[in-house]
Amino acid sequence: MNERPQVTLVVDGLEVQATEGEMLVDAAKGGDVEIPVFCYEPKLGGPVGACRMCLVEIEGIPKLQTACSTPIRDGMVVYTGTDRVVEAQNAVVEFLLVNHPLDCPVCDKGGECPLQDIALGWGPGRSRVTDPKRHFRKPAPLSPLVRIDRERCILCYRCVRFSQEVAEDEQLQLLERGASSYVGTFDERPYIAPFHGNIIELCPVGALTAEAYRFRARPWDIEDAGSICTLCPSQCNVKFTVRDERVQRVLARDNHEVDNGWLCDKGRFGFQMISSEERITTPRLNGNRADWPTTVATAAQRLGSGERRIAAIVGGQVSNEEAYLVQRIVRGALGSPHVTSADELPAGPVARLSAPELGAAISEIESVESVLLIGADPLNSMPILDLRLRKAVRHSGLRLVVASERPTALDGGAEETARYAPGDSADFLTALAAELGPDPAPESPHAADAERLAGELRPGKTLVIWGERLGRGPRGETALGSLLEIVGALDCSAAGGGVFSVPDGSNARGAREVGCLPGSGPGFASVEDGRNLEAIKQGLTDGELDGVILLHADPVRDLPDGPGWARALNRARTVLSISCFEDASTKAADVVFPAEAYAEKEGTVTHPDGRLQRLRPSVPHPDDVRPIWQALAELAAALGHETEIDSAPEALDAIGAEVPFYAGLTPEEIGGTGVRWQDRPEASAWATPDHGSPEAATAASDPGTEPAEGLRLGTYRDLWAGEVTDRNVALRFLAPEQRVELAPADAERLGLGDGDEVEVRSNGTGVRARVQLRERLRPGAAYLIEGTATDNANVFSRVRSVEIEKR
Amino acid sequence: MPETRVLFRHIDDPQLATIEGYRRHDGYKALERAFRELDPSDLLAAFEDSGLRGRGGAGFSMGKKGSFLPRGEMRKYVCCNADESEPGAFKDRELMMKNPHQLIEGVAIASLAVGASHAFIFIRGEYWEVADILDRAVAEAYEANYLGPNVVNSGAKVELVVHRGAGAYICGEETALLDALEGKRGNPRLKPPFPAIEGLYGGPTLINNVETLSNLPHIVNNGANWFKSFGTEQSPGTKVVSVSGCVERPGNYEVELGIPSRELIFDLAGGPAEDRRVKAWFPGGSSSPVLTEAELDLPYTFEDLAEAGSMLGSGSIIVADDTVSVPELALRTARFYHHESCGKCTPCREGTNWTVKMLERITRGEATPMDLEIIASVQENIIGHCLCVLGDSMAMPVGAMVAKFRDEFEAAIEAARRPGAGDFDLSPIDRPLTTGVSAP
Repeated sequence: MNERPQVTLVVDGLEVQATEGEMLVDAAKGGDVEIPVFCYEPKLGGPVGACRMCLVEIEGIPKLQTACSTPIRDGMVVYTGTDRVVEAQNAVVEFLLVNHPLDCPVCDKGGECPLQDIALGWGPGRSRVTDPKRHFRKPAPLSPLVRIDRERCILCYRCVRFSQEVAEDEQLQLLERGASSYVGTFDERPYIAPFHGNIIELCPVGALTAEAYRFRARPWDIEDAGSICTLCPSQCNVKFTVRDERVQRVLARDNHEVDNGWLCDKGRFGFQMISSEERITTPRLNGNRADWPTTVATAAQRLGSGERRIAAIVGGQVSNEEAYLVQRIVRGALGSPHVTSADELPAGPVARLSAPELGAAISEIESVESVLLIGADPLNSMPILDLRLRKAVRHSGLRLVVASERPTALDGGAEETARYAPGDSADFLTALAAELGPDPAPESPHAADAERLAGELRPGKTLVIWGERLGRGPRGETALGSLLEIVGALDCSAAGGGVFSVPDGSNARGAREVGCLPGSGPGFASVEDGRNLEAIKQGLTDGELDGVILLHADPVRDLPDGPGWARALNRARTVLSISCFEDASTKAADVVFPAEAYAEKEGTVTHPDGRLQRLRPSVPHPDDVRPIWQALAELAAALGHETEIDSAPEALDAIGAEVPFYAGLTPEEIGGTGVRWQDRPEASAWATPDHGSPEAATAASDPGTEPAEGLRLGTYRDLWAGEVTDRNVALRFLAPEQRVELAPADAERLGLGDGDEVEVRSNGTGVRARVQLRERLRPGAAYLIEGTATDNANVFSRVRSVEIEKR
Repeated sequence: MPETRVLFRHIDDPQLATIEGYRRHDGYKALERAFRELDPSDLLAAFEDSGLRGRGGAGFSMGKKGSFLPRGEMRKYVCCNADESEPGAFKDRELMMKNPHQLIEGVAIASLAVGASHAFIFIRGEYWEVADILDRAVAEAYEANYLGPNVVNSGAKVELVVHRGAGAYICGEETALLDALEGKRGNPRLKPPFPAIEGLYGGPTLINNVETLSNLPHIVNNGANWFKSFGTEQSPGTKVVSVSGCVERPGNYEVELGIPSRELIFDLAGGPAEDRRVKAWFPGGSSSPVLTEAELDLPYTFEDLAEAGSMLGSGSIIVADDTVSVPELALRTARFYHHESCGKCTPCREGTNWTVKMLERITRGEATPMDLEIIASVQENIIGHCLCVLGDSMAMPVGAMVAKFRDEFEAAIEAARRPGAGDFDLSPIDRPLTTGVSAP
């Protein structure tokens, strides 16, 4: 980064220091001078100068200039309040109000409306307009989630620019011309895109409103509470708008290091589940409502009798404190080594990939030369990362290289893309590692692709973003071993390039860093090896394990072999489920603790790039819900293991005492924007633990590699398949029905067409699905969605190939 | 003073539009010389020295504009602005129809001068007939190796594409033209960066009007001093002027700049009909502030018209005689710009819209003289505050009409308010626009 010089300019007689090239409107803020704007929004890219609200007078330039598009120079003398400027400002406000209805008393934006504020501050104060204003049907639905009132629109272009240049969905357009211009979509189609809710927040008037928030509150009725959205690993910073102790909407809380000020629609509209009537709000014993003391005592008694025969699985929604306490109960109080996460990975290689000298901050995407995105489709698993990559490709010349099973949403902006078949990820990584390595690459069907990709990647200049699924399954260890070789060959380090991963679970990184992996305790400490997910399922099924603790985990829906998990949980002597909602796994639980929703939690989470962030309770717990860290601490005590944790910060202290690189972290230090542990001096306490070398494990052959008849089966996460969509009424229309993606060539061979209803079958198991043809899909594979409410792809366990028949 | 024909010299030769006809009159001699013998920087210097000012409206020095483009090897472009859309302007049409090779030669020479290998002629969609003629001429020029990968075997490449616009006035604005050429909605861009630095597809781009570029072969053939021997010091050269409106012989006349405007309107174009007198005239298209009968003796130059508070613009005179109602003229003018406003910036979008509504109220008898104050003030609020000059293009003439013909406006307001007075009798094409939009 080359530093640009500081310069001095004079704004309204005051000397202001600012960075050369900064836009005048931003520089003036340094002198406490506010220049009003409507269209200017740096998050949207370069200025457009359309609204003309920011006209100012600059000495030496005869015409008034737009401050939003004027880069400052040393010695510039600027006036923002001369008669000429005031006349121009009055004129622009008056022009904007020629067509804008003065319906503020019934407008949802009233009280938090930039147009109201600017009309008051910079407007003429009285109107000379007596002519009729333009009329539209109002408020028309722009999508099922957003309404548009075109009469209020001041045509500032913000929403259109967002659609065109940030989300790049290119659905919103300015239609017609001149005073007849209006915002819309082609052919009045609904604007359905994963980030479209951002336009509500971008709108400087009440033209775009959220269906869910319309007429729900006035600015003086509400309080905004800052916290973190934990619905996906992006961990975007949010503000919960709270009225009457309920979350009414979710707004972005700009944090350049995390989210760039954007939210996905899941995060923005997924809040209805917090106050859902379907929540589990009391403890339950054998399906009956119970009080906390009895429930905790019973849980302790049932788990305690199992001792070393109890396992625990934590899901993606856990906080660090919760995950830490669960592993402490299992390992400490019950003496059992079987702790894992739904995002299980082999501890050895993942620990090596977590080393601070490799860790890249997400914002570094905007400063590296190239990114190798491998085994992940950010749009589906970490949506905000998709926007960040788009931004870097568009604005900072990032060279993006994508390798994946399925086509990703980012392929269009990539320099190179490569596809490999389901199950071939380890082979592909091996081929790429060999290509980048010093020795001549051995024969591989992936060699040509690997060579093509490698040509775009320069050592020391490349950031590697890897999907954590690469490390799953029997060949996961091999795959991560090759990934480590790639990272080494590309000389990835925090100084140039670096590494981070895209997990499925929101706090997967936090969970494993506080000790939720088999054989890996807090801080990746080597501990007694325990069962992995597959072995836990097996153990529960054949009675070698007595019980299991599920914390925010629903293996029946979310893990491979759902039916197998249902059998396992039904056989288990005891299942303690800690869950917000009744789900497929809770049904089998004899003890249920009601879980907190994310807006109710106090604690911390760890971003995939190592940033610790604070969850702050924004709404009270409903009914008999209590903090889970507290329930877990009591459970530990009831098991005779006193943790001496009486508050969430004490739980964080306890983590810090065991995780050397988290040592001394306090909520105050984490603050409102979080802190990357790699950036703290305590990171020097990192020592890559010895969990055995990955090479030793490569001998394990994959039982499923036999050549298959039919099509290879791949499964993937869809952004909208899962509990969040099901539990939010507003989002339900997005929940996908099962579909099977096929390459057109395969479909033709099978005599199938787009939209055909089919049964996808293997070994007597089948799901119903609808055929979807995808041009860019690699032939020879069929893809199903994981985690759908019905016809879930996880009925197929370890299946490598499927047959497809028309229904 | 009679016409002084340079660009129009052989305009009456029906064969001029063919390459043989053009070459019979020494066509492409300048191109051959420029590509084979001359240094591009000398060419640019000659253009700058000649004082040739842009004929599209702004009147900026062509040579200076060319010199703003960065030197060196890179993708640079030349765009000829043939989107002649200003009401009253039709000179480029005749130049392209009757002498297309003169323009092609000029485009090629400009490309050589600035080091561009790709050139475009952006012609308005309604000029389909002219575009066909240009297409044929471009094909002939390629055939004769005046265009192509190795122009007259000099090693220089010039590829020329004729692109037909979709028919929007705003696309005559240079940056909107670039957006439209790139396949986008034709909206003006923010300046800076100016096209000379960042234009078509982000590359340095020279944009000039048809007439400007048509002058280049003559300057190459005869030299800058020859060019300066015409016209005045600040407005050298000849100018094709479109004269229309209330004159007996409307048409294009090529004259030396500096000729008294009265000669243009009366001696060449025949003046208004017998017993009629000039009431108002636009000296440079409908966007130029109107002048009155008293100002007919102004020399027709950039500087004299500017000093009189108007402009030479594209060089298109529209004459209104004493049968014309100025309030109606104002409404027609305002409607045109209201219709053509792209809608991107606030003052133009809302200002043109509001002005039309107020002027329409005059015709309906719903206005008071107080509205004239508001109309005048709205025009002032538009001028200088817009993203491009389209807003000014309405505000300047309408403002000038209200200022110079205030009595007539007041009388019209009064007349229309009288019981029984109908609306103005507007021609069908000018029936009120739906200013309230009934879109979705």
